[in-house]
Amino acid sequence: MMARDIIAGILCAVGTFFFILGTTGLLRLPDVFSRLHPSTKCDTLGGCSVLIGLMVHSGFSFDTLKLLLIVAFLLVSSATCGHAIGRSAFVKGIPIWKKGLEREE
Amino acid sequence: MHNYLLAVAIIIALNAFICLYRAVRGPTIQDRVLGVNIVGTKTLITIVLITYIFSEVHFLDIAMVYALLNFVVTVAVSRYLETEGWREAG
Repeated sequence: MMARDIIAGILCAVGTFFFILGTTGLLRLPDVFSRLHPSTKCDTLGGCSVLIGLMVHSGFSFDTLKLLLIVAFLLVSSATCGHAIGRSAFVKGIPIWKKGLEREE
Repeated sequence: MHNYLLAVAIIIALNAFICLYRAVRGPTIQDRVLGVNIVGTKTLITIVLITYIFSEVHFLDIAMVYALLNFVVTVAVSRYLETEGWREAG
């Protein structure tokens, strides 16, 4: 009982850390293509860590199956969303940031 | 454990509010779509955490529907922006 809570707490803390990292990247990076990178990472890694931690917390029940479905769907959908947004930005010809250019705020 | 989960939920909700900045003033439309997508994912995780804070099992179904809705909204809007209309991309 006690060990289960500790493992769940560690996984939730890891997920929260990656969420904070993704938010920082979303605010600070220079253009759309580089902002896509931390945001999809924070979806998959942070979200799945928190959800797996909650799976450990809830034990073996029917809710665990639902959480597993959410994790599987999140792993597929986050990458697909990132690809769709990046493709749309590339097709519309949004300028790609290079070293000398200004950051667009 | 409940207090710990409550703290995690509050931190993630604050993160979602900070991400709303990118949705309000991104220079391009793709930035706004990206910000809305991230806010949606963080809301999904917050709903799942609320399920275990209040021991309401039915919220998990809402979280599943929210994940599907978030995915469909992002893909549809970026597809619309890509093709400038609802015709098929070639």
